[in-house]
Formats: sequence, C-alpha cells, structure tokens
Amino acid sequence: MKENGEIRIGFYICHCGVNIASVIDVERIAAYAATLPGVVVSRHYKYMCSDPGQELLGSDIREHKLNRIVVAACSPLLHEHTFRKATENAGLNPYFMHMVNIREHGSWVHEDKELATGKAQDMIRAAIRRVRFHEPLEKKRVPVLQDVLVIGGGIAGIHASLTLANAGKHVILVEREPTIGGHMAQFDKTFPTLDCAACILTPKMTSVKDHPNITLWSYSEVVKIDGSVGNYTVTVKRKPRYVNEELCVGCMECIEACIYKEGKWPDEFNVGLSKRKPIYIPFPQAVPPVPVIDPEHCVHVKTGKCRDTCVAICGDRNAIDFTQKETLTDIKVGAIVVATGFDIFDATQIPYYGYGKYRNVYTALEAERLINASGPTGGELLLPDGHKPESIAIVHCVGSRDVHYNRWCSRVCCMYSLKLAHLIKERTGAEIYNFYIDMRAPGKSMEEFYNRVSEEGVHLIRGRVADITPQALPEGSDQGGYLGKLVVQAEDTLIGRVRKIPVDMVILAVGLVPQKDAEEVRRMLNISCSTGGFFLERHPKLAPVNTFTDGIFLAGACQGPKDIPDSVAQAGAAAAEALALIDAGSVEIEPNTAYIIEEDCSGCKSCIPLCPYTAISFDEAKKKAVINEALCKGCGTCVAACPSGSIRQHLFEDEEIFSEIDGLLTYA
Amino acid sequence: MLATEEAVEQMWGVTLDKLYDSEEGRRILSCIQCGTCVGTCPHGEYMDYPPRRIITMLKAGLIDEVLASDSMVMCVNCYACQTKCPRNIRLTEILLPIVKEQSLLQLETMPAELQKAIENTFRYGNYMGESARKRTQWTKTSKIPVRILSEDPRPVDALWLVESDLSYHPRGQDVARATVQIFDAIGADFAILGNEERSAGDCGRLSWEPGLSETLIDYTLSILKKYTYNRIIVSDPHALDALNFRYPMFGFSDTVEATVSFVHRHLDMLRPRLTKTLKYRVTYHDSCCLGRHNKLYDEPRELLLAIPGIELREMVHTRENSICCGGGGGGMWLDTYYKAKGMERLSDRRLREALATGADVLAIACPYELSRFEDAVKVAGAENRIVVRDIMELLVESFGDN
Repeated sequence: MKENGEIRIGFYICHCGVNIASVIDVERIAAYAATLPGVVVSRHYKYMCSDPGQELLGSDIREHKLNRIVVAACSPLLHEHTFRKATENAGLNPYFMHMVNIREHGSWVHEDKELATGKAQDMIRAAIRRVRFHEPLEKKRVPVLQDVLVIGGGIAGIHASLTLANAGKHVILVEREPTIGGHMAQFDKTFPTLDCAACILTPKMTSVKDHPNITLWSYSEVVKIDGSVGNYTVTVKRKPRYVNEELCVGCMECIEACIYKEGKWPDEFNVGLSKRKPIYIPFPQAVPPVPVIDPEHCVHVKTGKCRDTCVAICGDRNAIDFTQKETLTDIKVGAIVVATGFDIFDATQIPYYGYGKYRNVYTALEAERLINASGPTGGELLLPDGHKPESIAIVHCVGSRDVHYNRWCSRVCCMYSLKLAHLIKERTGAEIYNFYIDMRAPGKSMEEFYNRVSEEGVHLIRGRVADITPQALPEGSDQGGYLGKLVVQAEDTLIGRVRKIPVDMVILAVGLVPQKDAEEVRRMLNISCSTGGFFLERHPKLAPVNTFTDGIFLAGACQGPKDIPDSVAQAGAAAAEALALIDAGSVEIEPNTAYIIEEDCSGCKSCIPLCPYTAISFDEAKKKAVINEALCKGCGTCVAACPSGSIRQHLFEDEEIFSEIDGLLTYA
Repeated sequence: MLATEEAVEQMWGVTLDKLYDSEEGRRILSCIQCGTCVGTCPHGEYMDYPPRRIITMLKAGLIDEVLASDSMVMCVNCYACQTKCPRNIRLTEILLPIVKEQSLLQLETMPAELQKAIENTFRYGNYMGESARKRTQWTKTSKIPVRILSEDPRPVDALWLVESDLSYHPRGQDVARATVQIFDAIGADFAILGNEERSAGDCGRLSWEPGLSETLIDYTLSILKKYTYNRIIVSDPHALDALNFRYPMFGFSDTVEATVSFVHRHLDMLRPRLTKTLKYRVTYHDSCCLGRHNKLYDEPRELLLAIPGIELREMVHTRENSICCGGGGGGMWLDTYYKAKGMERLSDRRLREALATGADVLAIACPYELSRFEDAVKVAGAENRIVVRDIMELLVESFGDN
C-alpha cells in the first residue's frame, strides 16, 4: 500500500479539563509530536470536543493543507464521531482522522505522571505512524426492517410495545409465562400514591391484546437470534398451551369442568400460597384470557386416558386442542427491546432469617399476594393457622447491601416495605415494626410517603435484623411448621440497645436479582452484563437504554433494580430509541469491513464457517469466497484465519497495524 | 472464611495505629453501622461498647474511652459478628483482639480466674497448672498403645496434637482414649508429642496475651521441627484455629486437619465397625472455631449419622447461626466475672435449646464444651434427661466388638 502522496499530519491533544492534563503533560506531548515525521501542526487544547476545538481542527486542515489528523483524547466511543465529522466538514475524508484514547487508557488509570506521559507519548507515536496508511473510505447504508421484537411482557415490555405500536410499528411481544403483566400484576397497591396495581395495569394489558399493531405471543420464548442491527432473524419457541387462542372465548368453563375438583399444585401467580388445577388461568384479568394446560399434571397429556370433561364442556367451540405441539417460528425484525425483568432474592440463603423453616416468615411478594383481594385469602392477611396477626416485623435489605449475597441496594425495598407497613396497618390494625439500615426514599413523593407512614405510627427501628428465633423453644426436633411468636432481634442503633421484639409474622423485604437465566439470554443477545448480572447499558448516564450491540435496547429491571415509574420511563426511552433507528429507514455501517483480494483467494472455504455473521458465501462459478459487506461487522476473524492472506480489512490493513506496532516499540 | 495468604500477611502485627494500612483493615471504614454485629453478639446487650460502637468511636478518635471500658472482656471470640457482617469486616480476627488486649491492660483488677489460667499456661504449658510429666498419663489406660514421638521418633503419617483438655481433664481423657480407638479402627499411622507438648497457644484465649501466645507458638514450632510427619491432626478446635490462622504468620505451612474431618475422610473404613445400634436422639452443638471459622458443619453430622439408630435433631441456633458455649476468648475463666455483671452463662442458655429438641444426647466436638455443658446439665438438674458426649465417644460406643 502506498502512502498517497505527501503526508501532512495535524496532531491535537486534549486536556479534557483536568481529566487528562492533571496526569499527562500535554504541552510536552504536543512539543514531542511536532518533532515526528510528517507532523505539520501539533497543538494542545482545553476541550477539543468543544465548538472552538473542532473549528481549530477544521481551520488547520484548510490553512495547512493537512491530509491526516490524530486526536489524542477520550474514548473513540464518545467522540470519534465528533472528530470525523469535523474532519469531513473541512473537506477531508473522515477516515483520515484517527483517535488515541489517553484518558480511559491513560490518565484515568494511572497515578504516576511521568510514566503516564511516557505511555501517552508511545501511543501517539504509534498513531502518527499508522495514520500515514489510512485511505479514504465511504460509509454504506443498509435498509432497516420495520418490525420490532419486545422480549418480556411485564410493565416495561407492555409500555414499550404500546409506544411502538402507537407510532405505527408492528411489534411482536414475546412473553414466557401464560399471561403478560409480570411482577406488577402480583402487587397489591403501588407506592407512593397507593393506586391499585391491577387497576392501572390491566387497562394497558387489554390495550396490548386489542392493539392491531401488536402480535402477542405468550407462553413463548426467544431461543435464537441471528443477524445484526436493522436485520435480525429471531427464532421463537411457542409452547403448546393446548387451548386454541383463536377459538377460546375465555369463559373458563373448562377449568370448572376439570376432573380435578380442587386445585392440587402450587399456583405460580400466588407464589405457591394457593393451589391450582392442571388447567388454569393465572389470574382473572390475564392476557390473553385463555386457560393453559400444564402438561406435567394434565391426565390427558400424561396418559391419554381422561374423561376429557374440559373438551366436552367446550363443545362446538373446540378450543381444547391436545394435538398442539411445540413450534419454532422465525421472525425478522429491525430492532429488539429487552424487558426480561428481575427475580427476587432467595431468602433461604440467609439461614438466620428462618425463611422456609418457620411458616410465619414470608417474603414481601408473598405478603403482596396475601393482602391482595384476588390472592389466596381474598385479601385478608391471615397466619397459616387462620389467626389474624397482631404484630408484624418487616425486615429491610434482605439479601441486599451485603457482600455475602448481593452488594447492591435493591432500590425499591424501603418504599415497598413502607407501603406494606401502611396497607397492613390499615387493614389489620397490627403493630408494625420496620427494621431498616438506612431509609432510602429518593424520587418524587417518596420522602413525603415516608413521612406519612411514620406519622401513622409504624415503628421504625434503625438496625439490621441479626436473628429470628421462636419465642418459646419448639419441642421436638422439627422446627418446620413452628407457628408461635417469633422474636426478632436487632440492635436499635439509635438508642444503642439490643431489642428483641416478639411478633406473629415476619415479612422479609427481599431484594431484586437478575433472572435465573439472565446469563444465557445475555449470550444469546450478544450483550454485556454488569458485575451483579444485570444487563449492561452502553453508557450509565448518556446511553442508559442502549446496549453495546446496535439495535438492542434495554427496558426495566433487567438492567438493574428499579421501580414502576422508572421502568415505564425507561421503556418509553427504549421504544423511542428503537423508533429513531427504524424510522431512519436505513442504517449506516462502518466501512471497517473485510474484503477479498480475489486473485489470491484459493477457494479453500476455511473462512466461511468461521464468520459469526454468516457474511461470507462461496461463488461456485469463480471458486472464490465472497463477503457481503452489509452483513460484515468487521470482527477480523476471517482476516486472521485466511491461509493465503487474501482477506484484508479496511481500517485494519496490515500496514496500518504493523506501523502502529513499530511506533509503540520504537522508543523515543 | 479461611484466611488467604494475603489476608494472613495483612493481619500480621497489626496495631491500632496501623489498622488502615492493610486492605483487610481498611474494610472497617466501610462499616454501615447496621448493628448486625451487636444484634447477633451473645453478650452484645451487656456491652457499653459493642463492635458497632467500637468502629464509630474509632472513626471519631474516641477509642480511648472504649479501651477504658470492660466491654471487650465480654467478647467470647465466637466469630458471630464477623460471620454476619454485611461488609465482611474482620471483627473477630483483627479489630476486636487489638481492643481486647488494650482494654485488659486498663482493667482495674484482672479477673482472678483468667489471671491464674494465663499464669498456668505460661508456667506449665497448660491452663490447669498440671505438671508436664503427667501429660501422657492417660495413655496408660488406653486400650490401644499410643506412640510417643520423644520416645520413638520414627517418621509418622499423622502427628496428633492432643492439647491440654484431652490430656488432663478426666472427661477429656475419655475422649482422648476414644479418639485413639477410632484412629486404630481406620488404620491411622499416628503418634503424639507426649510430655514435650504444650498448649498450642490458642487464638481466642491468647488474644489477651499475644506475648504468651508467641512464646508458645515458637516453642511448639521448635518441637515440631524435630519430627517428620505428613499432617497434623488437632482435636481442639481452638488449637486448629491457632494453627490455621496464627501459625502461618510464623512461617508455618504444614497440612492441618481437625480430628472430625480426618476421621470423616476415612469414614468408609470406620463404617464396618459401627454395628451397635444406639437408639439416641442426638443434637449437635456447632463449636465456633470448628463451625463458623473453619466451616466444618457437615462432617461432624455425617459422622453421627453413620452410627446406626441415631436420630439427629437440630437446635434453634445451628450451623453458622450456632451460639457460643461461652468458653471461647477467655470466657472459660470469666464465669465469675460475668456472673457479677448479672450475665447468664451461655452454656446454660444453649443447654435449654438442646433440651427443647427432646434429645437425650448433646454431641460435641470441642473439649471446652465437655466441662461447660456437663456443668450446665448439673445446674439445670437435667442429669436424667441429657448427657454430653464427644462424637468420638459415640462412635466408639457403636463398635459392636467393643
């Protein structure tokens, strides 16, 4: 490759305020760069990304007839676009600009100024050598498919679907459970305004069902994703519910008619606090309002020998369909919104809280069901022995803020604990003791709600619960099923005394954790995870709903614990990002794609199976490999693998990489 | 949590003014003042300055007030606070021992029993003040001959540190003889140090007296150096703790195993001998050092369950949430002091939990507990309801051919 005539390089180093300049000696670097071959202009500037900074670059290009630019600043992730644009505006091909990251890779991670400056010097020398070989490149555009996939039908998925559908886009909403609604459908009232969760959620669920632009696939799972931004092929597994959704009118007579007269298996929606039949509907307002048959327990599915009372009662409608099979369906979409939600912390992991050992220790989610009118007790909070509790302890931070379990604050527990305190006190008159470490009530109207609950006379004790034990020692070995009073022991840190408070019931404010299969989903989507296992956003502040994979957006608690208002806000943002992408109609693809030097290709086909994006095919007539630039993501796998060296890559040409390495290894 | 090499390195020689020099020490600064340590401390309600307050006082520069109080005299080194701390602050391992040592120095009068125990340990190598020459007397009545290294220094697979309680205490000697029978049954090649042995310098008691602890560690290391062995077996969990967590700071790196885990590892060889059915309802008390600090919860239980006929019942506080018998950290010699403060003996409290299970045997694996719980049984007048037995004793009782 040639150097394309006389090389005139402009070098710019950014102070980034004090972010870079406080560690790296920018003046010295600018002076050093000026001595390197080909460098015509070398400057340092306080904020290169500012308008004057960009203008400086542009005027230098025009004035000094620069044909190569090197900017040493922050991560290209943040400002590569800015400087390419500035280069282009000055009449130079934007790919003649190269960025060196001396902030994230330099000043932010080093303390020794001398060494950090030395490292930056090496890095810019490498870039100045590399940029000589840059060539003018053109971005390409590929069309974007107009349908959007939303994964998960909780409040975030519902809101994102409705927003997109209202904008006229066709949405395929895939939900794993037999109904949409997610965790929110299980809650009683919602903090801080105390509106009933079902009252505000079910209208949105119905809108999903009725929306002409939404295809709802419940009881289905995404199992495979291929392609890239604008052009994803998604495989969805649709589990048989053995009830035809088109034919069923939701009369529920089949459930009534089932040969099992009573529920026999733990009801998932009521977190196991009640029993359901093999044919059931999760809750009355479920969407779709279609029963589902549990193949594990249905006598017909298991043995084929059943009186089929459900089929009989359904009669001519013929909605019960035992011939349904699991199917795999491929769909094509331009963008994906991930709204897979959260799981709750498994409280049995903390042995000293007695969950699973004492029957009157509940999780907050169980408490939500117990006080809910559609719950197992019809909304009456009762102990397992049928008595009304007169005293209740609510334990905050269960599984959260603890290095042994989860380090993070789960963010919603303080507020939902106060809400439960309020609701339970209102309905039972019981004495309520909230044990908290720090009361966290940020957000609109939250502190006011905290104040309100305090004034209602809920006992707020500042201390983390250290032990929960039976008040009277249970006789015999088996404490499972112990139902007497439990003593909750904690230091009241504000009075500096250990308090042992006997209560009838304990509610554990369990934290939020990633879904059990979050890791598999993450891999399937090719997105990243934060340390705790929640999905990672592209930037914590500036790209909170984007991921590192273009065209895939995050909504709701799959990205981290959050409450309903925040989940909805984020879902709206994710929908807007998806809209911005697909409404543009096409997407620019970076020109850093691989290309084949045809005369050198031996036609060995070794590159074809290696391509993760199925971008390489084989031209049988020419007996050569062919790369589809629209599909190539520039990962470089084929370039490295080609035995004849006939595959090369724009922006990563051998000359560019080797001269960069030379630059790094040539000590000044 | 077993100490890692770095942790041991960092804990070495820490003093109050160097507390924050190590990563382990700096973790104290992450305290969120949640009070879990105080709420779980078996004596927390009696302390003016329980662990949480020690940390705030330390941060506020008021640690002298803490050192002038007797709060840390009540610490029984049970690791409960450290185990539950949501910030994993090494309270029992780092902070509390420093405070303990300093506050003991400022105590107006040293509790007499503790004073005597420390003196005896210094003079005789055992807290009872028994003569070193009597250390091997128990072996005379052992059914199986016991090799003593000072007499027969050939290399041996397992060097068994008997420790003082099993050597001198009459009930301890029962356990020692039972342990020999178990070792014999699993075909162990073992030997003891004999009269050369002195207290290993157990971690809890000697956090009062680091100087004495160091002397004993130096001594023990010099004796160990004389012999060739593959592993050290320890019956006293406090000594196990010392070997696992203190000795490495002195360059010690031998393989150390608790008797229960050593026997558990050879359970298949022992099983054929366990033929006599023992129709006992047994409850097992997790000792602090064996359980919380060395994470040996399942091994002792599996040994018990290997005995035909045994029904295992768990107490309200079990495994990592077990309650100290009150003997650790010097508590063994502070009963009178605690009583004067109106504090209930922890062994009495724990016995009530054992009795509530309906068990007729309280199984233990720590020699302190023999004397503490047998005392508690007498105090409670429960001699007809429950007996205290070491796991080794129960295993031997199940030998059909005994």
